[in-house]
Amino acid sequence: MVDRASQPTALGEPEARRRLGASISGLLSDYSTVAVVIAVVAFFGLSSQFFLSPDNIANILRQMAIVGVLAAGMTMVVLIGGIDLSVGSVVLVSGAITGTLILNYEFNAWPAIAVGLLVAMAVGLLNGILIEKAQISPVIVTLGTLIAVRGAGQAILWINNSWVWVTDDLFVYVAKEKVLFLPIIAALMFVLYIISAVVLKQTAFGRYVYAIGGNQRAAQLAGLPVTRIKIIAYVLSGLFAGIAGLLMAARLGVVGPSVGLGMEFDAITAVVLGGTRLSGGAGRVERSLLGTAILVMVINYLTIRGIPDIWQTSVTGFLILGAILLERAARRG
Amino acid sequence: MAVRSAEGELQSAQPAGEARPILEMVGVTKRFPGVLALDRVNFSVRRGEIHSLIGQNGAGKSTLMHVLSGIYPANEGQILIDGQPVTITHPREALRLGIGTVYQELSLLPRLSVADNVFLGREPGNGFVINEAAVLSQAAEVLAQLGVRNIDVKARVADLPLAQQQLVEIAKVLSHQPRILVLDEPTASLAEEETVHLFDILKGLKAHGIAIIFISHRFKEIIQHCDRGTILRNGKLVKTIELSGVTENELAEIMIGQQVESFFRHDGQGEPKAGDQILEVSHLSVGQRVKDVSFVLRRGEIVGITGLLGAGQNELVRALFGIQENVTGTIRRNGQVLAIRSPGDAIQHGICLLTENRKFEGLVLDMSVKENVTLPSLSMFRRAPVFIDNAGEERATDGFVRRLNIIVRSVRSKVRTLSGGNQQKTILARWLLRNLDILIFIEPTRGIDVGAKADIYQYLDRLAQEGKSIVVVSPELLEILGVSDRILVMYHGRLTRVFEKGAADEEALLSAVQGGSQHGG
Repeated sequence: MVDRASQPTALGEPEARRRLGASISGLLSDYSTVAVVIAVVAFFGLSSQFFLSPDNIANILRQMAIVGVLAAGMTMVVLIGGIDLSVGSVVLVSGAITGTLILNYEFNAWPAIAVGLLVAMAVGLLNGILIEKAQISPVIVTLGTLIAVRGAGQAILWINNSWVWVTDDLFVYVAKEKVLFLPIIAALMFVLYIISAVVLKQTAFGRYVYAIGGNQRAAQLAGLPVTRIKIIAYVLSGLFAGIAGLLMAARLGVVGPSVGLGMEFDAITAVVLGGTRLSGGAGRVERSLLGTAILVMVINYLTIRGIPDIWQTSVTGFLILGAILLERAARRG
Repeated sequence: MAVRSAEGELQSAQPAGEARPILEMVGVTKRFPGVLALDRVNFSVRRGEIHSLIGQNGAGKSTLMHVLSGIYPANEGQILIDGQPVTITHPREALRLGIGTVYQELSLLPRLSVADNVFLGREPGNGFVINEAAVLSQAAEVLAQLGVRNIDVKARVADLPLAQQQLVEIAKVLSHQPRILVLDEPTASLAEEETVHLFDILKGLKAHGIAIIFISHRFKEIIQHCDRGTILRNGKLVKTIELSGVTENELAEIMIGQQVESFFRHDGQGEPKAGDQILEVSHLSVGQRVKDVSFVLRRGEIVGITGLLGAGQNELVRALFGIQENVTGTIRRNGQVLAIRSPGDAIQHGICLLTENRKFEGLVLDMSVKENVTLPSLSMFRRAPVFIDNAGEERATDGFVRRLNIIVRSVRSKVRTLSGGNQQKTILARWLLRNLDILIFIEPTRGIDVGAKADIYQYLDRLAQEGKSIVVVSPELLEILGVSDRILVMYHGRLTRVFEKGAADEEALLSAVQGGSQHGG
């Protein structure tokens, strides 16, 4: 067979050169998202004086924090071959519960946060169980929880006439302060990304996630706990959405009925822009951070160029289509 | 037309004075990555004959028919229909040219009625509204032409027995009025009387001048009902013969050829190995597919299980690995009854299964060799507090790469880039690392080149010597004869014959596989 001739264990001279060439082209395709980010920064920076100002950069980082945290959780679900449409509603419900507990029930910040995050994880658990145990498609299940959870969040907000003010010191501190030059909420996002990347790359759980997404049948026949791992991925997505909800509440200082509306699509867009394969098994969570950066910078640029909000949704939609086309072209070429 | 056969002699494929054959395939070559599936095959079929394609699994029968029905294009060669060259690039074109194919797996929609299935996609009507009455009456007509009167065209396909579903499938293909009808193992799932009925129907079609290409592994029915046969071996044409007066043994000899199994292990060397009983399977049944099978597996032996397609051997071993539904019976290990409901349970009890479907059921192609090998054994490679010990993984995998002679650039290469043989060795390494002592293989060398095959046979032997118990399931009789200490033969879901060590030869085994009675063993 060919492999005996062309895949020697020891590397010959031309073989080594070929390998160098392969690794350069591999590097290029690996860093194509980085290249896009640099190109976007350069183009926007040159065409708008305001874009690269320290204030706007801090602003971009704050905007990135929420979508970015959602995208990190979404990446895990996409990697196992699923999808989670409920995250935008979980953003609302975690903020609404935590805010209401502090405002109406005199909870301290930390226990209130714990309850908010537990509820968020419970939504993820429900998604996971319905998808994996009852074998319903992830789109249907999470569409259902998207609607149900948003309704529940709005019902909770109803106690305070639909608007909960979040004025707790901890939240104000997180929203306003910086560590070094980084806004705290952006720093939290980076920390979550580092943890996620390490978990996915260096732990058995991460290995299982890629194996299940790459070939679920094979993972099953290798005796992996497929159902459990997939449910955990949904729980993590819920947890990350809960954290995003709290960051959102801190940043806005108020939770209103439309908080998080449509953010699931921002998160999916960021994941796709980062090059994670929607059918699962391939992609990297840190690339979703780059995807988030591209998405947020485009929206930010449109805003500072005075293009009305109304058009921004449409732009997001075309970005996702463009990213999919690019990914396909890259895979063929 | 002169054709060069595999033996290299020249022979005439077409007796003089015959009318031009309706179908000729000339010099058809089909390559898959690493495999030459068809090597300049010539094949021709006459109007009004039942022509059998004969050969072992992997001989190229199905590939040849897939080329004919437009599923894959040939790399070289020509297809002529009525002497006119045609190109077939899509199943729809094949159908338009009058080539109808009934595949091994039925393509019916189980929830639709018989009539709806027959006319799926071209329902009579005005192009907008379907004329239900016409669908029913025309479907009934097609079935009547087939000579089938006991099927209700309004019945749901899912409610019909398999044999009747098969007839509906044939009716569906016939409703396109093909001139050439290809049947790929239509009798594999049929009982004997159903098979007879099917051939009655085929003879009726033959009388109408339809050419029928019939693939089957059952020599008895081939000789009884087919006019001519074309024998393929390893992707090459052996010859085309008239079947009248041929015996099953003659057919078997032509099919197997003079191949010597020189690379199989040589029995008789070393001490007799069969040790303690390690696994005892009693009264195991899987739905209707496996019926009341009992056998034991001993330490250090290789048990071969063989049978025709669909005889239940795959379901039997899948049940042992916990991936088969409706399993009854008991599995004991050292006297203790095992509850195996998932691969996880089976692995816990030391049993692993390597299926014939490496890409779908074995490997994660986008992961590296190392990651594929350590997948079920990650708990062996822990680094505090929760991380994977990558260096340890690489050392362990490197060891197996050397031991199993896996040819790969680095253990970090993606397993996708390996050849079939090296992929198979990668899965083998996975289970050896996990250190399980009962290894079950389904068709361990399917799609693997000769060199890697020899490696794998050798390794099976070495593993048995080391005290592992091995089960090999394969329809390739030579493989089974070559590797096994004992051979179990299944027929229609039952364990019908057991050949003790050295008691089997090709002919006895072939006859047993065909359901033959207790002679010659």
